[in-house]
Amino acid sequence: MKIRIIFIVVVVLALLAGVPWYGSASIVQFGIDALLTATLAQGWNLIGGYAGYPSFGNSVFYGLGTYGTAIAMAQFGLPFWAGLVVGGILAVLCALLLGIPILRLRGPYFAIATLGLAAAMGAVIANLGIAGRNNGLILPLFRGDALFYELALGLLALTTLMIYLVSESRFGAGLIAIRENEDAAAVMGVNTTLYKVMALALSGFVSALAGGIHAYWITFIDPGSAFDATLNVKMVIMAVFGGPGTVLGPIIGAFLLSAISEVLAAKISTVAGLFFGGVIVLAVVFMPKGLIDVGYGVRRLGLSYFVQNIRQNRL
Amino acid sequence: MTASEPKPIFTARGLTKRFRGLTALSAVSFTQNEGEILGLIGPNGAGKTTLVSLISGTLSPTEGEIEFEGQRIDGLKSYRRAHLGIGRTFQVMKPFPGLSVLENVAIGALFGTGRGERSRVRARERARACLDFTGLNHRADQRADALGGPDRKRLELAKALAMQPKFLLLDEVMAGLNPVEVEEVIALIMKIRANGVSILVIEHVMKAIRRLSDRLFVLHHGEKIAEGKPDEVLNDPRVVEAYLGRRRR
Ligand SMILES: Nc1ncnc2c1ncn2[C@@H]1O[C@H](COP(=O)(O)OP(=O)(O)O)[C@@H](O)[C@H]1O
Ligand SMILES: [Mg+2]
Repeated sequence: MKIRIIFIVVVVLALLAGVPWYGSASIVQFGIDALLTATLAQGWNLIGGYAGYPSFGNSVFYGLGTYGTAIAMAQFGLPFWAGLVVGGILAVLCALLLGIPILRLRGPYFAIATLGLAAAMGAVIANLGIAGRNNGLILPLFRGDALFYELALGLLALTTLMIYLVSESRFGAGLIAIRENEDAAAVMGVNTTLYKVMALALSGFVSALAGGIHAYWITFIDPGSAFDATLNVKMVIMAVFGGPGTVLGPIIGAFLLSAISEVLAAKISTVAGLFFGGVIVLAVVFMPKGLIDVGYGVRRLGLSYFVQNIRQNRL
Repeated sequence: MTASEPKPIFTARGLTKRFRGLTALSAVSFTQNEGEILGLIGPNGAGKTTLVSLISGTLSPTEGEIEFEGQRIDGLKSYRRAHLGIGRTFQVMKPFPGLSVLENVAIGALFGTGRGERSRVRARERARACLDFTGLNHRADQRADALGGPDRKRLELAKALAMQPKFLLLDEVMAGLNPVEVEEVIALIMKIRANGVSILVIEHVMKAIRRLSDRLFVLHHGEKIAEGKPDEVLNDPRVVEAYLGRRRR
């Protein structure tokens, strides 16, 4: 069983890693975007899916990674890897400083506070001289889509490995307990504050790395694109669509929705958004626990799985 | 050691809790002895649950101090008190709804007293033993939110037991149970005490509290109005009045 799973993982990774050799240039570009978005969805999975804190501030970490890398490279002439480190550190610091007060809020209050964070951070950066104010920054040009693709794939693979290890660990069990009932978790011995902050920091760290890779690949960044609130909505939808609090759900959700939106945007751009929204509403009604749960549910209950979901939504 | 020499494991001094204007608990002091079953009764709204929450760290007191095994703990957060060996159930039950019954209980084993088991496998083994003990084994793989009332009560108890607490606070675990189930829970509590656990029992079922408690104290409007041997306390005119006066309204 275990050997079979490892075998499948290796084959899938090898196939994905080979894309730059057998795929077209536009496939590779789509791949970079999809892999980075999937990494963001996975990062969100940790705080939103496992700990149950629906963060709408993860784009802040992404933006800090973007700017950390850009400032290090464009302003200080540091190498790319150093930029990634700077971005990662900035995101972790931000998660530690802001996480402690914000993670005291629960449910919708937490979501709203994090949403405010994204807007505020964009405004701060737009007034910083070192960050190029409103004009943004231009990074050194580096042509090598294949390399960026492999970097993005590597980041997603490592992030997923981390999620897997967390899900098997005592830490992961504590996060799930917090999600299911925080008061009960606390009196049973879970250090809820520490666990939540750690989840947010880890989540922020991988999001920042994704931002750094994206910045160097795109070579031009500004506050609007780095602290884009719709990016937040996107990662939440992808993780929830695929299956929050599962190891593979967010990746499946991200790949599938990225592909659908790519196809739709190319064909019928005006209807695309509407269709996309409709799909998401239906998905939330019929499969609130994501695509990955549909497989188990239908095998266990047949079509009444969907009926049960509708009932749970009290429709 | 003989039973004639009671050794305190927990002491509360002058505990007061105010919610804005309302004084839910007013200068309550009491001592819990090691290996003792201490009963706590009082009409609805008397402050019993508030007292449990102050002990478990779910709420912090407005005034007063508490001591566990000779150490001040009123500055400690809930999880640290759990690590020291204080476990509680919730009157308004708080299961982990989306997890299986076994996983619910395993959380108690994975954390709990002495920070619990390190390995999830051993935590699950301990959880199985607690399910056996509380008669929930046949429900192990069901989701907690699929359980009926009595089984939810058992789950609440099993979760706390899996922590292997030294001091266990039971907030109305018999409420809503039929007489047969009440007997089962009484037997369970006796067995838990036989393992050396000190227990604070809050109950409205008088028959149960009379049989279980070594000592008993009564809260009324947030104040301790009586304390002593169960039979004496239950016949105390002030206690009778507190209950009857309530009923007349
Ligand atoms: N979180 C809270 N906020 C405000 N008032 C509360 C809160 N918890 C309890 N109370 C009030 O404190 C009093 C005591 O409540 P409680 O401890 O639950 O009583 P008991 O468990 O004895 O029935 C009640 O009047 C209740 O309304
Ligand atoms: Mg109560």
